[in-house]
Amino acid sequence: MALIELRDLTYAYPITEIPALRNVNLDLEEGQFLAVIGSNGAGKSTLCYTLAGFVPHFFKGKLEGQVRVGGIDTQHAHLNDFVQKVGLVFQNPFNQISGSKFTVYEEIAFGLENRGVPRGEMKARIDRVMEMTGIQDLGERSPYALSGGQQQRVALASILVLQPSILVLDEPTSQLDPIGTREVFQVIKNMSQQGMTIIMAEHKTEWVAEFADRIVALADGEILMLGSPTDVLASPLLPERGVGVSRYTTAARQASSEDLWPSGRPLPVRLDEAIEGFREILP
Amino acid sequence: MQERLSFYIHRDSPYHRLNPLTKLVLAMTLILISFSLPYLFLPGLIYLLILIPLSYWGKVGKEFITISIRLLLPLFGFLFVMQSLFYPGGETVIFSFWIFSVKLEGVVFALHTATRILVMVSSFLLLLLTTHPSTLMNDLARRGVPPALSYIITSTLQILPVMRAKANTILDAQRSRGLDTRGNLIARSRSLLPLVGPLIFGSLVDVEERAIAIEARGFNLPGRKTSLVEIQDSRAQAWFRWFLLGLILLALGIRIWL
Repeated sequence: MALIELRDLTYAYPITEIPALRNVNLDLEEGQFLAVIGSNGAGKSTLCYTLAGFVPHFFKGKLEGQVRVGGIDTQHAHLNDFVQKVGLVFQNPFNQISGSKFTVYEEIAFGLENRGVPRGEMKARIDRVMEMTGIQDLGERSPYALSGGQQQRVALASILVLQPSILVLDEPTSQLDPIGTREVFQVIKNMSQQGMTIIMAEHKTEWVAEFADRIVALADGEILMLGSPTDVLASPLLPERGVGVSRYTTAARQASSEDLWPSGRPLPVRLDEAIEGFREILP
Repeated sequence: MQERLSFYIHRDSPYHRLNPLTKLVLAMTLILISFSLPYLFLPGLIYLLILIPLSYWGKVGKEFITISIRLLLPLFGFLFVMQSLFYPGGETVIFSFWIFSVKLEGVVFALHTATRILVMVSSFLLLLLTTHPSTLMNDLARRGVPPALSYIITSTLQILPVMRAKANTILDAQRSRGLDTRGNLIARSRSLLPLVGPLIFGSLVDVEERAIAIEARGFNLPGRKTSLVEIQDSRAQAWFRWFLLGLILLALGIRIWL
């Protein structure tokens, strides 16, 4: 049985009749990395919130169909059941700081305190996760006095320390500069390599193409495409529906229209594929 | 941006090491005694003979005196002017000029009120100077104060500088679009509206996101919570707190009896 199963999921937020998600069907096995792409308003965040239980348990609204995450059926569960299993990190690093702690170290402990983890175990887990996210030197700093990238890694550490079996990330790098983005992606890549199940909504398709096992493209709340990175990101359907694609794909597509791309070779989605293709054609 | 809105000064002193609840109960005791007993010079003596020596024991004496005076001087000035001139029912005129006359009863009342306020503010100031807010809140939460309440208090301390920075950003943005924030009072108050709207709506969005963030970290999970920080306490301090409670009852008793 898949770790995550969505069957005919349709959901509308309160005070609107227009569904944010429509007839979504999706399966995800344990240890897989699923990237969610789509233009703004396509339903990426709503999908993330659904997988983390916040839709419908926090936002309310009307949910139809079936959502099963790690054996929990959202229709018969409480938000707390999800919180124990699914970690959620979202866009704004600033708003993910609890606001009640004065140092980064205490901030990471916040979730462990809520779960009643004994002090000794708490410290061991915090030390480990700070090393994993590369924030060992920030322990005594105020979480408010950090850069965006550092804050996002603190947010990530605060969730990872809870050892969730599923990690949901909603555009975690959208407010970060290139250095901050690289730092956050590095942590996510490591987590994926360690076998964590990850769902990440993201606009930066060049990065997504690097580590996603599968990609789902959303448009107007519906699944536009679902498949491997190459199948989805190189599809002409994406630019037609306003979904951003990898700049390598765009360059190769342009080149291909001028016969500067090897015929029969699929369009690249990653840098190494683009280099290989251009090397073949160029003298 | 200022990192936090907190008076806490990190120093190694015996007073710093006292349990936060002991310091809180002491502050409450001094305040209640100075407000419940009618003796005119008692609050002043509490400030001079208890609070100032305690602040030096806590190695924050200089800061304690500077901040308490700086915080209260304008209020005292106002209080003395108003009460000495307009105290109702005063008869003993000290001196008069034009249509005003300064009455002794007014001056005494102003002195009593001012020194009581001095004890109230400086008792808490001493607590805040020597106790980290999170230590205080952790200790209170450990003793059964609802986590939501301690969360509200500590997050408010943190959020005020953040709100100030945000207000400045919005103000800069509005100024760059031609909003005039200088000039007379009317012009300034008119420019407040374009600031308040975005600040409040933006903060509401922030509140929702922050609620999601703390929910995702199990803030509402049922069951016992633990604390990262180990807070010192001792049997002697517990006895001392009971003794202070006895003093409060005694003071209230005297108040009722007198």
